[in-house]
Amino acid sequence: MSGVSEGRLPEQSGERIERDSELSFTFDGREVSGLEGDTIGSALYANGQRTFSRSFKYHRRRGLLCCAGQCPNCLVAVDGAPGVRACTEPVREGMKVEHMNASPSLNFDVMRATDLVGGPFTPPGFYYKTFIRPRRFWPLYEKVLRHAAGLGKLRKSQPEREWRTEYRRRHADVLVVGGGAAGLNAAATAAELGADVVLADEGPEPGGRLLAEGGVTYARELVERARRAGVEILPNAPALGSFDGLVPVWQGDTLHQIRAQRQIFATGAIEQPLLFPGNDLPGVMLSGGARRLIGMYAVQPGARAVVATVDDRGLHAALALIDAGVEVVCVADLRERANGSAAGALQRMNVELLSGSTVLEARGRGELDSVVIGPPGANEGGRTFGCDLLVVSGGSAPATSLIAQAGGKTSYDEARGHFALAHVPDAVHVAGEVTGHAELEAAERSGMAAGADAAHALGFGDAQSRERADAERERLSATRASDSSVAVPPPVTSERDGKCFACLCEDVTAKDIHLSVEEGYDSIELSKRYTTTTMGPCQGRMCQLPAVRLMAKETGTSMADVGTTTPRPPWHAVPLGAFAGRPFEPAKRSSIHARHRELGANVMWAGDWRRAYDYGDPKAEAMAVHKAAGLIDVSTLGKLIVQGPDAGEFLDRLYPNRFSNLKPGRIRYGVIASDAGRIMDDGTICRLDDESFYVTTTSSGAGAIYDWFTWWLADWQLDVQIVDMTQGLSAVNLAGPRARAIMGRVTELDCSAEAFTYLDGKQAEVAGVPCLILRIGFVGEVGYEIHCPAAQGEHLWDALMDAGRELGVKPFGLEPQRLLRLQKLHILIGQDTDSESNPFGAAMSWIVKLDKEQDFIGKWALQHYENEQLETTLVGFTLQNGHVPTEGAVVMPENGSPMGQVTSARYSEKLGRVIGMAWVPAALAKDGARITISDEDKRFEGEVQTSPFYDPDGEILRS
Amino acid sequence: MSSLAFLSPGSSVTSRSPMEPGAAAAGAVFEERDGWKVAVSFPDEDLSRVGFADMSHLGKLEIQGDVAAVTGHDLKRGSALRADGAWFCPYSAQRAVVLCSPADTASLRDRLGAAAAGAPSLSSVIDTTTAQGALTIAGPLAGELFARFTALDLRPQVTPVFGFRPGSVARTGGAILCEAPDRYLMLFGAALGQYVWTVVADAAEHLGGGPVGVDALPSLDAAEAPDA
Amino acid sequence: MSYVLICPNCGPREVTDFGYGGELNPRPKETPSLRELGEYNYFRRNVAGVQREWWVHRSGCGEWFIAERDTRTNHVHWTKPVNEVFGAETDTAGAAAGGADGGGAAGGHGV
Repeated sequence: MSGVSEGRLPEQSGERIERDSELSFTFDGREVSGLEGDTIGSALYANGQRTFSRSFKYHRRRGLLCCAGQCPNCLVAVDGAPGVRACTEPVREGMKVEHMNASPSLNFDVMRATDLVGGPFTPPGFYYKTFIRPRRFWPLYEKVLRHAAGLGKLRKSQPEREWRTEYRRRHADVLVVGGGAAGLNAAATAAELGADVVLADEGPEPGGRLLAEGGVTYARELVERARRAGVEILPNAPALGSFDGLVPVWQGDTLHQIRAQRQIFATGAIEQPLLFPGNDLPGVMLSGGARRLIGMYAVQPGARAVVATVDDRGLHAALALIDAGVEVVCVADLRERANGSAAGALQRMNVELLSGSTVLEARGRGELDSVVIGPPGANEGGRTFGCDLLVVSGGSAPATSLIAQAGGKTSYDEARGHFALAHVPDAVHVAGEVTGHAELEAAERSGMAAGADAAHALGFGDAQSRERADAERERLSATRASDSSVAVPPPVTSERDGKCFACLCEDVTAKDIHLSVEEGYDSIELSKRYTTTTMGPCQGRMCQLPAVRLMAKETGTSMADVGTTTPRPPWHAVPLGAFAGRPFEPAKRSSIHARHRELGANVMWAGDWRRAYDYGDPKAEAMAVHKAAGLIDVSTLGKLIVQGPDAGEFLDRLYPNRFSNLKPGRIRYGVIASDAGRIMDDGTICRLDDESFYVTTTSSGAGAIYDWFTWWLADWQLDVQIVDMTQGLSAVNLAGPRARAIMGRVTELDCSAEAFTYLDGKQAEVAGVPCLILRIGFVGEVGYEIHCPAAQGEHLWDALMDAGRELGVKPFGLEPQRLLRLQKLHILIGQDTDSESNPFGAAMSWIVKLDKEQDFIGKWALQHYENEQLETTLVGFTLQNGHVPTEGAVVMPENGSPMGQVTSARYSEKLGRVIGMAWVPAALAKDGARITISDEDKRFEGEVQTSPFYDPDGEILRS
Repeated sequence: MSSLAFLSPGSSVTSRSPMEPGAAAAGAVFEERDGWKVAVSFPDEDLSRVGFADMSHLGKLEIQGDVAAVTGHDLKRGSALRADGAWFCPYSAQRAVVLCSPADTASLRDRLGAAAAGAPSLSSVIDTTTAQGALTIAGPLAGELFARFTALDLRPQVTPVFGFRPGSVARTGGAILCEAPDRYLMLFGAALGQYVWTVVADAAEHLGGGPVGVDALPSLDAAEAPDA
Repeated sequence: MSYVLICPNCGPREVTDFGYGGELNPRPKETPSLRELGEYNYFRRNVAGVQREWWVHRSGCGEWFIAERDTRTNHVHWTKPVNEVFGAETDTAGAAAGGADGGGAAGGHGV
């Protein structure tokens, strides 16, 4: 036997430790030995460690309480990661464990002063009450509070793969949450009937209470049976919530997103603490915790123990303690009479059994050294017992949170003193202790029944299996009566001196809840938010029921009237990184994207596309378009094929102008308005043949316009078909005085001004690539917008760059394009317009054909606007002094309040002045009108211009 | 040139997949096949766990209208049909996509186009080859790989061989076709090719898989409908 | 919110697969008064209860369809193709809308 095992109990049946396999790790720098199979908690406890953490607010010592990952008492940092539960985290060789929330050390913590001083510093809401005056001190307060608040410290940086999980979608017929006797039976039964079953369990090994209470062999048989039937078992995998049937289950570096047609919750019940002064002292432990230390890790939880219980559970624990060599000096049972086998056994062993008694106070400096036992409510007297361990069992609270999130309801059960399930939603089944079936046999039967029900509901099984399930349920209802009796504990067992904690996570005392009710926070939901009870790492497991009891007492109402807080995810404390998953950021890239990178483009987001903002010198790029030629990738444009006999009529109904009379091979500009007359999008439409149109949209509007078109088509049911080719086609715009010459080098198409006129659309091969070439001029120079299959877009780009090299072609990005189009007063939807803009205000009344016989979207609203006096109008303006106003700068009328704003502004080297677009009062929408622009406290005088700044008559464009 | 000729890649210029940069960075060996630059193999490629191959060169023809009259097949909802070396995949009663080898695309387009012209109600065939990228994901962990970026239920009892499932993949619109046991073809927007490659490669690496060339994939010629 | 909708073409999918088009909001069949136009453009019933609404399977088949959903629970009673709800015999869904309970044509987004 190795040295480490010496501190352990003799071999326990089903213990998890491997006595021959020693491991060492450090705790706060000190070397600690453990055994394979130990948790950090069990190894430290075996080495005599009793204080595991310092509490949230008062920095009180806290020790192991539940040993099941439920409470906040043993949170430590492991290898720099904070918030790890020592009691469930397996030890690994060389791991570095450190305490949290104590400085300079766990044994000497200066912040303990908050506990000793107490008083005005620490009631609920004390931050808000204390640190608001004087206001100028806030930066100082903040610094101090930031340091004091929270538990543990996050690492400053970490490799992504270390902190983020992998999402894993799992579809299943049946999901079982909880791997105790009920859950395992449910999973095995459903799977044996043919269902595809997943079982998620919080613990490192399924089995639940079986593991620590002598049922390990049986638990492993059940696991084996379930596996054989095909159940996928996820250990160490707490379910975090239920979102419309989707259950996230966190398992280390994986977040399973489980969507099962049926869910079985076998989540068990949570053993509750008792509330008495000193109830948080290290040495006070729940009975389940003590039993887990003994049964799973062969660790003796103490030498001399007192047990305080409200039901048989504590009596069984007392027997287990005695078996483990602990001297049990007294068992206080709150019930007036305890019958049953456990009570009998204790009596035979001459253990002092005090009925109708409970623990009134726990005492000790740093650690427990004695407890006072007596009848509940006795504020004086009682018998004092010296002990180093107080085992508490305050009844159980069914773990209904996930079921409630799935739509279940609870109601108060007077006899058992807790909130029990009252309604279970469709497609959800429950089994085991969460439904009150605490005894093993009942838990098993309810599991089998739930598993069979779930499988049968999905069409698995046969008449025989249904018969078996019915029989099981009958036997189940017969076993129910044997449940042992429970005494409902009072909100607090005594009102003696000392802090009595209702919420260990957030350090909320019974007195704090009393105060919060006095201050008016008299409903459980308000009290929760004010005191933060139930909002800590235990997520209400340990404090929900005590808080409700206290509220009922303080407000003089019943438990049922107080009710519970709404259970919210996450049910289990979880690092935020667990939700991060794989970053999905669908980025669209043009087929020419690699070329832009090679050319040194500054790439930016434009909608969901990655685009070249510029290639380093936007001014020079713009000038190249004026002087020689520029090439820009406009593959981001939305591109729709609209075809069919009704295609013309369809477009006539969608746009305020006409398309049915557009000739094949010709192009027309269009603006789409909503039925409210607001501008939604714009683009050019080329008629390819009698029944086919090629519609382009703005880059960011492509998806919405496709939806818009298909929506109206679904409504109107016209003979039209739409295909979205946005991602299938590359598009480039070659523009500039030498664009025509460059085209001559790459295509046999006659691109002369006579043969290929402005607003013609022609198809031809360019550099061997089949293309649709649109003669349009967004940037104001002679331009060819060339669309081709995306798989050959890069070839087209290369060919145009090669052909234009000696003619001075330059690639240009989004920024120079914005300047060039501004010189032409071409609007950018969403930049120069907003959701309130209509075509009249945007100075595009020419595009609205109200005389069109056809009804069209927006017609009625536009008819109305036509006769309304416009308040503001979109115009161009120039500024003489060289200042480029911020986009969004305010337009001031001569005297009065702001009215209008600048939407675009640039300095144009070509024109030698600052130009822009702005919404101005309609009265000022005339050439030469003076406007005042207020920009960040400065005022500038501008002059309105309603025609384009460059080539106002379009002579260059059409040439 | 007919009015939609500019939608189909020209035959004198090599066509390129949107995922070529990703494949090249992973060391792909490329060959020109039927006008496309295809990643035919990768160093250390391995299908024993899971592998993914760029299949963007597959021809894609979108049929709208009277799908039965155009294709000559009655397509069952959610189920693709394999005939003449092509997949016929239904999106709805009035819309389907045909996936075929690049060598067959032009002739199939013309044949189906002629059938569409003669169909009793408005029907059309449009070459959407370049609008979508395609990846074949194959190997025993193929389902696990998909589970990392799509919510589609690909369990064999829900998506059997020949099942066709339009839906979100890697948080973008797409579709998945089960070509054979543990083998799926995934379609998605072509401009998202590089993004999808990154997502799939990252998830595959986690499962011990990686890119494979098209030559690593067994031929599908033997594929037959399970219970046609 | 992560409920499942059944696309009439593709079958059950996560709600995130879909785009929402709002409650049915019939487009006036004849020139509306200004008040009627305002109601059509800006007013919705916004019921806490069962309503018929437009959805589009944006990440899948791309088609619009109609769903009847309880806005309080997100329980979807049914989903149907547009022509099954409005009837195939009429040329426009808007025209058929009068016959459908609370039903009618598209409209209302992007205003």
